[in-house]
Amino acid sequence: MLKKIALLGLASSLTLPALAEPTTQNTVAVRAAFEFSSIDPSRAGFVFTRMQILETLVDVDEKGNLTPALATSWQISNAGTQWDFTLREGVKFHDGTELDADVVAANLNLALSKPGALQGVPVTAIEAIGKQQVRITLSQPFQPLGAVLAHYSASIMAPAAFDEQNNVQALIGTGPFSVYEIAAPHRLVVEKFDGYWGKKAQVEYANYLTGHRAEARVLQARSGQGDIVFGLDPAAVPMLKRLPNLNVIHSDLPRTLALKLNLAHPNLDTIEERQALSLAMNRQGIATAVLRSADAATDQLLPEYMGDWHVADGTPQLTPDLAKAAALMQQAGWQKNADGWLEQNGEIFELDLITYADRPELTTVATAIQDQWKQLGVKLNVNVTNSSAIPAGHQDGSLEVALIARNYGSIADPLGVLVKDFGSEKGGDWGSMNWNNPSIQTTLNNLVAETDQERYHQQAQQVAKAIYTEMPMIAVASYVQQTAVNKRVDGFRFDPYERSYFLNELVWTK
Amino acid sequence: MKQLLAKRFLQLIAVSWGVGTLTFLLMRALPGDMAYRIAASRYGMDAVDSRAAELVRAELGLDGSAWSAYWQWFVDLLSWNLGNSLVSGQPVAQELFHMLGHSLLLAVVGILLAALIAIPLGLASAYYGGWLDRTLLALSTALRAVPVFVIGLLAIILFALELSLLPVAGFGTLAHLVLPALTLALSLAAVSNRVVHTEARRVFNAPFFEFARTKGLRPWFAFRHHGMRNIAVPVVAFFGIQLITVVEGVVMIESLFSWPGIGHGLAHAIFARDIPVIQGAALMMGMLFVVLNTLVDVVCHYLDPRGGKLA
Amino acid sequence: MSLQLNTTQKIGAALLLALVAYALGAPLFKDGDSISQNLSAIMSAPGGQFWFGTDHFGRDMWLRLADALRLSLMMAALCVLTAATIGVTAGVLAATQGGWVDRLLDGVVTILLALPGLVLVLIFAAIVPGSFWMLYVAISLIQWIEYFRVSRAITQRMITSPAVQSSRLMGFGGWYLFKRHYWPAIAPQLLTLAAFGAANAILMMASLGFVYVGIQPPLAELGLMIVEHFPYYSDAPWLLVLPLSVLALMVLSCHLLGRRTQDQGEAA
Repeated sequence: MLKKIALLGLASSLTLPALAEPTTQNTVAVRAAFEFSSIDPSRAGFVFTRMQILETLVDVDEKGNLTPALATSWQISNAGTQWDFTLREGVKFHDGTELDADVVAANLNLALSKPGALQGVPVTAIEAIGKQQVRITLSQPFQPLGAVLAHYSASIMAPAAFDEQNNVQALIGTGPFSVYEIAAPHRLVVEKFDGYWGKKAQVEYANYLTGHRAEARVLQARSGQGDIVFGLDPAAVPMLKRLPNLNVIHSDLPRTLALKLNLAHPNLDTIEERQALSLAMNRQGIATAVLRSADAATDQLLPEYMGDWHVADGTPQLTPDLAKAAALMQQAGWQKNADGWLEQNGEIFELDLITYADRPELTTVATAIQDQWKQLGVKLNVNVTNSSAIPAGHQDGSLEVALIARNYGSIADPLGVLVKDFGSEKGGDWGSMNWNNPSIQTTLNNLVAETDQERYHQQAQQVAKAIYTEMPMIAVASYVQQTAVNKRVDGFRFDPYERSYFLNELVWTK
Repeated sequence: MKQLLAKRFLQLIAVSWGVGTLTFLLMRALPGDMAYRIAASRYGMDAVDSRAAELVRAELGLDGSAWSAYWQWFVDLLSWNLGNSLVSGQPVAQELFHMLGHSLLLAVVGILLAALIAIPLGLASAYYGGWLDRTLLALSTALRAVPVFVIGLLAIILFALELSLLPVAGFGTLAHLVLPALTLALSLAAVSNRVVHTEARRVFNAPFFEFARTKGLRPWFAFRHHGMRNIAVPVVAFFGIQLITVVEGVVMIESLFSWPGIGHGLAHAIFARDIPVIQGAALMMGMLFVVLNTLVDVVCHYLDPRGGKLA
Repeated sequence: MSLQLNTTQKIGAALLLALVAYALGAPLFKDGDSISQNLSAIMSAPGGQFWFGTDHFGRDMWLRLADALRLSLMMAALCVLTAATIGVTAGVLAATQGGWVDRLLDGVVTILLALPGLVLVLIFAAIVPGSFWMLYVAISLIQWIEYFRVSRAITQRMITSPAVQSSRLMGFGGWYLFKRHYWPAIAPQLLTLAAFGAANAILMMASLGFVYVGIQPPLAELGLMIVEHFPYYSDAPWLLVLPLSVLALMVLSCHLLGRRTQDQGEAA
């Protein structure tokens, strides 16, 4: 068996690469941390839209505005309950079949039945009107619908992609790349699709390889085996920046490192306590020393460029103010005991924090917060576990504090995520927990149907301010995506909404 | 020989049942809600929420009793059906086959490479002794004193980063196999070259070998006719034992080099609570252990037919 | 049991003693603790105020290293003690009782051996994440088998020996037989088994740190330190070199201690 393998290897390395075969020369190597456990877009569609195999009706530009994709335009009527999408003409799937309204309606109806962004949208019907129009009828107005339809779980595939039971059997989309080889969960090779309706790809092939370990990804960037390497460990960035063959690109994205707090916990149920915890944090230190990018420090959940949701007149609290924090704790009834811990009625101020190892910086930031709160007299036990422990802990009420990286741009309009996260007293799996502020929660829910720009802005600001001052969640830093791009490719662009890798815009440097 | 095979077959059945049951019990003892873990693996860390977990629960019938899940597994096992992965929905047997193939390739190449390194070095150090022996002893001792992932990291720094000769991680081509296999081989050879050395020394000093030499046979001839078999028996037995250590120990190497083998898959399945995959993988490794042991016994029997007592 | 150490073993013992001395003595020479951070003094080079420099949180490496060393040594010692006690007891019992006791223990061992050791440890580690005690239980559970097999084999050989036969004829009880015959035969093997067992326990704990199921922050653990410090290997090489060399030295000292001279027995 070994002989055979060795011979095969030898043979493939000796024969000259034919043109119709991916080689290192004609393939852009993409490396990221995400596995795709399945080819079903509702599960792993983010990989397939990023690799530009699949597309959605609507696109999102860098500012978060909706732009036409498979739909060229859309009209909203009947007081916001009827959305008519006009489809682009002449769009072909990778298998040569044509995109039409029946296919789109079937895809969306299927997506509706699976977990994904469409869940929770008050849809009553999705139907084809003629060949080029799709109508979505809602039971009540839902402003973020356009953004929801830009989500990967609403991607459109050819009829041949499904078997009789509507299980996905092949990835046949409309994007600038088609599947060349797929080996779930680690490797995906795509080739350029010449029948693409938009900007055709310049590079012939691209491959995607899951690199679970941040160390391994850094090494691949270093050694030139990864042309585009996402999710670099901040610790390795200074070293990578010194290499002549790489560009390291910092990109802001609407993802925030934040503490999720259980407001029903006796140590977290007053604003004073939460403010004190926030004041004890050295956000600047964390950003500079741990995240290695000084401007990442922030005390707001949403970034400045999401103007509706960023409190404009806040004074950023980036360096610790332990004296003020201690005074607030005293107001809340906590006294420092002989060992340096805060104490009330014979019990010390102790909290359990959970976080997950999937993102390398979460563990290190948690370790830093642990020490900073210790200065205040708060004993924090850090437990590194699986990301599922956070929704599970939210549901059964056992969660006390969690350090999470929340993506407010997973649906281009943050409203959808915010309603999910802050829209009720119980809160969301990745949002507030037992935050009792009914008037803000009502305001937030009503915004879904608000069409007036000015009122929308005012009410959004109201909500943002409430979150900022009452601190159902505490922001620590904004997440900076660090990407290494090899100088042999040109034209790389980062999508802050992480929907596409824009591989079709890449060119080989001469 | 027939008796041996019959006994091993019974052992195989006992081991399969025992391993399967033990993994099942341990996995049921794990804290946390299974549905959430599986949802996190299915939908990714950003999309896991209670809605996804409820869907998973309903789809997989996780509310059923542990007994009925165990019974179902057992009945399926009798018809060689290992079930479907809770995460990907693919048949476990198919996933395991994919992973086992990669692991076996890595293991076999690693062991052959180890043999290529260890046997000549072990023999030479036993024959010549002196500084060669001392250098090898020092090197082996040093290699054994660091965990295998450290050997891997050092190999990466040297061959992939400083010399830019080989790819760092990934799979698919021969070049990708070199570093993980070399890492494995080095950690194996660190031990086995000393085993070869000791056995060779024993044989070289044995009266029958001395006699063959005094008879006037040339060294190479004496070695081939009198030494090789005697050295081979314990060495083969030792390599056989190492094979299972290899298969179980590859988790580190596979994780470091993104090698999609069974060790890597197993670690992931444990985090995801993918019980069918864990059971299947543990089962396969258990069976592999018995089969390899049998093979080693048979080979030793063939090399040295005098040892009548087998098993 | 008299300890006759050869030169190699003496070197190993000396090395181990030196490491233990550092692990226990280091905090006496230095104020502060191993978990206090100083984000404005990260990765300072060895020398001056910090003899071994500081890590990526500005924590004192001199103290962290001693902590990590203590943790590994404690794990090794506990595992060796537990595994040896259980293994020898079970081995002697299996050999002397025979019958169903022997068959039952043999069955358990066969199953445990067929279950990959690391899988068992991974599963145990996942039951209570970050727990020192869970790792201890898991590692001991794997390691007792070695002691069991050796002491069972030796005892089985002894039972039929004339010395044991005559003792039994004289009516001596089980405890006497153990003390007088079995233990003296088993004991010389134990040092070797224990030394290699300790080395394996240390390596296994470090390996678990590498796949993030070991000890949780801010506790210092050598495997975790190696992984965490690897990204800085060109900026601050000592951060990687220090835990690596301490780990290697510790395992080396165990290996040396367990190594007998060529004519004393086969290489382990």
